[in-house]
Amino acid sequence: MIFGMFDGTLFYVGPIPVDHLVVTEWVLIALIGTIGYFATRNMQMVPRGLQNAFEAIIIWTYDFFTQLMDKEHVAKKWAPLLTAFFLFILCSNYSGLVPGAANIPGYQPPTSNWNVTMTLALITFFSVHVAGISEHGGHYFKHFVSPSPAMLPLNLIEEVAHPLSLTVRLFGNIFGEEMVIAFLLFLAPFIIPSAIMGLSLLLGAIQAIVFTILSASYIAAATGEGH
Amino acid sequence: MRRNKRYYTAVLLLTMVMVLGFATFCMASGGNMPINQPGSETPRFGNWFVIGWTAINFFVLVALLYKFAYNPINAMLDQRSNTIESSLKHAEEVKIEVEQMRKETQSNLAESRKEAQEIVARATKAADDAKNEIINKAKEDATNIKNKATAEIQAATEQAKVELKDTAAALALFAAEKVLNRAITDDDHKNMVKQFVNEAGDLLC
Repeated sequence: MIFGMFDGTLFYVGPIPVDHLVVTEWVLIALIGTIGYFATRNMQMVPRGLQNAFEAIIIWTYDFFTQLMDKEHVAKKWAPLLTAFFLFILCSNYSGLVPGAANIPGYQPPTSNWNVTMTLALITFFSVHVAGISEHGGHYFKHFVSPSPAMLPLNLIEEVAHPLSLTVRLFGNIFGEEMVIAFLLFLAPFIIPSAIMGLSLLLGAIQAIVFTILSASYIAAATGEGH
Repeated sequence: MRRNKRYYTAVLLLTMVMVLGFATFCMASGGNMPINQPGSETPRFGNWFVIGWTAINFFVLVALLYKFAYNPINAMLDQRSNTIESSLKHAEEVKIEVEQMRKETQSNLAESRKEAQEIVARATKAADDAKNEIINKAKEDATNIKNKATAEIQAATEQAKVELKDTAAALALFAAEKVLNRAITDDDHKNMVKQFVNEAGDLLC
């Protein structure tokens, strides 16, 4: 038995198997959706409480991505996707801190599985090219042969390296962290793991921020003036 | 600070509950650790069902974010900026209107002041006229009364003189009769009286 990092089918929807990870993702998404629903359920002209916090976050994401991308319309277009990355990865990382994660078979943070991180990285990959084409049209493909056609292989490798690095970085960090916590819980279940848990609180946030900022900078590079 | 304290207390309590819960969990399992040694094998790669589900889930999350965060908040921001814009516009209009009203009021005030001055001047003049008229009339009345009184006095004096003359004449006649002891004829009488009165009158007056 692969304890802790168990991935397997929980049930079937028709012929399609549903993994434990997928159920965890559903719970996380339902959680984010519920908070969002209650925050914006009764919008007021003068914001208060949760609505105020949500508005501040949304405006902050606009400002932040505008600073990062230099182009406001691009930032406004991609801010929801990037915010979704951030929230999904953050909640997913933090789900590994709930007691039982990585110990109860099947319950593990989705980002500690590289099928999930690769999916996110692929979404970034496609988003980058969609953003580039929508911003520059056919001219976008010129950057593969810039500054000279001899650079084409390197440029292609770079394009593949982006999602690969995103996948492996996030997966490696969270998987490693979960393994460390699982081992520490096995060795010294009481006080010791809390130090690593505190550290992984920081780590989870950092990984979410890193993934989001890298995705944003890839989109910024694709939509920027360099093409 | 107080709120921070509350947060820290909550976090501490949650941590204690977690630790105690875990301890109870361990105790309940009768001393046997409920957890086995974790395996360090990496998960299988290339589970396409997980990849597909994750992609679907992620886009559901994006849709939820659009539905519950970005769309309503964007709408609200737009609405708010519109409201602010229209409020500013309205304020500008009101300002202009107030300025206009102020000017109007000022001109009205100046006009009113002028009018009031005119009215006061007119009233003063009318009062002066009335005063003069009253004074003149009073003077005239006084003069009239004085003249009338003078005339009356004059007349009374004249009458008194005449009466005195008549009485004196009668007295003189009576005295003369006494002296002469005879009746005086009318002609005598008249002559004597006339003479006497003239003399006496000259003396009296």
